[in-house]
Amino acid sequence: MIDIRHLEVAYGHARVIHDLNLTLSPGEMVFIVGRNGAGKTTLLKTIAGLLKPTQGEIVFEGRPVAGEPPDKLARSGFRFVAQDKKVFSSLSVRSNIELAAHGAGEPVEVAWKKAVEIYPKLAEFRALPAGRLSGGQREILLIGRALVGNPRLLLIDEPTEGLAAIVIEEIFRILKGMRQTVSAIIVEQNLSIVKRLADRIYVMKEGRIIREINDQSGITDSARLENYL
Amino acid sequence: MIQTVIYGFTIGAILYFFSVGLSLTFGTMHIINFAHGMVYALGVYLFITFMEYFGNSFLLSLIVSLAAMLPVAYVVERFVIRRLYGESLDYAIIATYGVLLIGTDFIKLIWGTTPYPVNDPIGLSVPLAGLDLPVYRIIIVISAVLLFLALRLFFKRSIIGQIVIASLEDSDGVRCLGLDVNRYFSIIFVLGSALAVLGGILYAPISTAEPYMGFHILLLAFAVVIVGGMGNINGTFVAAMVLGMVMAITGRFWSQASSAMVFVVMALVIIFRPMESD
Amino acid sequence: MTAATDLRGFAVRPYSPWGIVRELAIVAAGLLLLSLVIKLHWMTNFMIFFILVLSFDLLYGFMGHLSFGHMLYFGAGAYGTALWLVYGGKSPLIALAVGMLAAALLAAGLGRIVMRTHGAPFALINMAFNEIGHFMIQSPLSGVTQGEDGLSCSADNIFGIINLYKDGWAFGFAAVMLLAVFALLRVLTASPYGILVRSIKENEQRVKFLGYNTFRYKWVTFVIASTVAALSGGMFTLVQGFISPRVISPFGNVDIIFAVLIGGAGTLYGALIGGTVFMLIKNFLPVLIPELATLLNMKLPQWEMWLGIVLLVIVFSVRKGIVGAVLAKWRQRPCGSTT
Repeated sequence: MIDIRHLEVAYGHARVIHDLNLTLSPGEMVFIVGRNGAGKTTLLKTIAGLLKPTQGEIVFEGRPVAGEPPDKLARSGFRFVAQDKKVFSSLSVRSNIELAAHGAGEPVEVAWKKAVEIYPKLAEFRALPAGRLSGGQREILLIGRALVGNPRLLLIDEPTEGLAAIVIEEIFRILKGMRQTVSAIIVEQNLSIVKRLADRIYVMKEGRIIREINDQSGITDSARLENYL
Repeated sequence: MIQTVIYGFTIGAILYFFSVGLSLTFGTMHIINFAHGMVYALGVYLFITFMEYFGNSFLLSLIVSLAAMLPVAYVVERFVIRRLYGESLDYAIIATYGVLLIGTDFIKLIWGTTPYPVNDPIGLSVPLAGLDLPVYRIIIVISAVLLFLALRLFFKRSIIGQIVIASLEDSDGVRCLGLDVNRYFSIIFVLGSALAVLGGILYAPISTAEPYMGFHILLLAFAVVIVGGMGNINGTFVAAMVLGMVMAITGRFWSQASSAMVFVVMALVIIFRPMESD
Repeated sequence: MTAATDLRGFAVRPYSPWGIVRELAIVAAGLLLLSLVIKLHWMTNFMIFFILVLSFDLLYGFMGHLSFGHMLYFGAGAYGTALWLVYGGKSPLIALAVGMLAAALLAAGLGRIVMRTHGAPFALINMAFNEIGHFMIQSPLSGVTQGEDGLSCSADNIFGIINLYKDGWAFGFAAVMLLAVFALLRVLTASPYGILVRSIKENEQRVKFLGYNTFRYKWVTFVIASTVAALSGGMFTLVQGFISPRVISPFGNVDIIFAVLIGGAGTLYGALIGGTVFMLIKNFLPVLIPELATLLNMKLPQWEMWLGIVLLVIVFSVRKGIVGAVLAKWRQRPCGSTT
């Protein structure tokens, strides 16, 4: 479904991603692990269109999309959830979803219902300014926003970062519910989540992919995974 | 004293009309738009010309001038502002200043440099509580309040308004939802320009038009936007009214210092305001 | 990273005393060449303008702060010098010093307010202060400054010999001052202080984390830039013998910005080149346009409109300025990669 080849991304003169290759098949949930500064966020942002690669190609369902602006990619079905968990804080929770619905061309009510299905507590927060939500609630709102309109590809950057264990489990539940129905590339440092959800794992270091783990035993082998962090 | 207060609100009203567009353009696109002053001045001059042409019909001239300025605003947005997205702020300042210079010279070329007085269309004073209240000025103030309420409604209720508010905070986030943010910014830009023109036209009958009027109001508007907070829609209203009052009250005692006093207030606000991070 | 590899830090290359002398010689040669073409009297004005542009380059090109109110300090220097000559003594050098001191004090005070901002607010606040200054000269202080009518002043000869009202002496004086200012700025920007200032422009947070009081550095730079601008203003007064509120008008800021952009910001040489181009345009266009208008038999907009158009063109295409473009070409030599 998505095929990335020889990707290079640079900030000015500093190259952050070197000769990166990655693939994703429909319905797969692929995780990217690695130390801080490995370039994981840069990779996601580049796929999402927020950064332009200096070289290489990104092919989505047979179509080259590298360098396209983020709104066009979003209309093709990409959804990006950023690491900083930024929501539209002065808008209500419902308005956040409403904007997503408007962008995806889906009726607001349908989108809202779907979001509440995933996370019933959202209904309570309907009129609350989104800025008042806790970190975990924001992440869930963001995922809810991203799921509006049946996205084709989810790009999520460190969904569980900075969250309490109980919230992490909630997010795990939501992500698990998405498996097989949505294709996703997720950056994550929480290995427990990775082990339980990944179809495949890519390990990144200093801007390159140094390992791809696609066998189940490799995925559940904690010691091996931890080596890479 | 009542006259001064009304005058203060009147000035505040005009400043508000003008500053809304400036504040929004900065909040959304992070561009300081000097060309805003050009749109204002040109709109007023067109209005004056149409007034002569249409035999002093205020409403007709207003509508026609506004209609004429919309494409101008669009051209500025399309060919100048849009190219400045994401560019360094300095270039935006310089480029839009260039547009302002061109516009000012254009005005000088066509209308000459002598100032143009315009007449108060209503010219009535309503005796109330023993004082003569200038009806027209009160109308201006009421218009500003209506505008404020309308904008509040627009931003809270309409989807475009919500998109703009979201973009003020996180335009990338909005883009990643599939919305073409730039298109909405353009709309806001033209809207802001139209409001500036409207403000200028409303002000014209109680002021004189001169080629550099764009510069002068721009400076005051900058003070409004800085005091009110860039991109802060409500703050702009409050700041405009406060600074308008400052001008009126200063003007009563020391007429030439009214503009300067606005900047003094602005400087004080900057000194005593807690320092903001980038 | 050596300073030499930074495109914009062209003038921040390490230097040696002989290197400075060499560079000054190049500048002097350029000036002499120019003066073959342009009248001596005009050259003097050009050079006074160059000093002003150099001062702005320090503030904008090196420190990255675009001010729309730099003329305030030029005007402060001009009026400070003039007022001293009228009410104080007749020594030109002392008058110059007074003008510079006045501006320095003003900059020191205002700098405390102004350097708390950057970007948009910075540009506008300086413009506002410039307006206030302009207003002050025209109105409340007009008892002293003669307001709109302008102020005439005359100075004695420097050291009893150098008569600034003679073209030759004025030229020499301006040239010496220009070379001195250039040398000063060249040394300053290449010094550790200069490198720190440029680092602040690149990434202030990081410099703060290193423990530096960035505000103080910014403030000092602002005061220096303003004082040099005042030097330019004072020289203007000395040479002209008459000033009006025009010297403190905010409109003059466009000239400076234009010159810096056209030549390339942050390179010092760019200030000189840009200043030259701008002054040539400013002095020849007002003559050319009306001639062209009579030739074509139509009404043409004044040269200020052309200025606006050229500003737009520059911003949208030639952004780096002449020096920047030359450097870019130079860096693309085949041996190294451009990354």
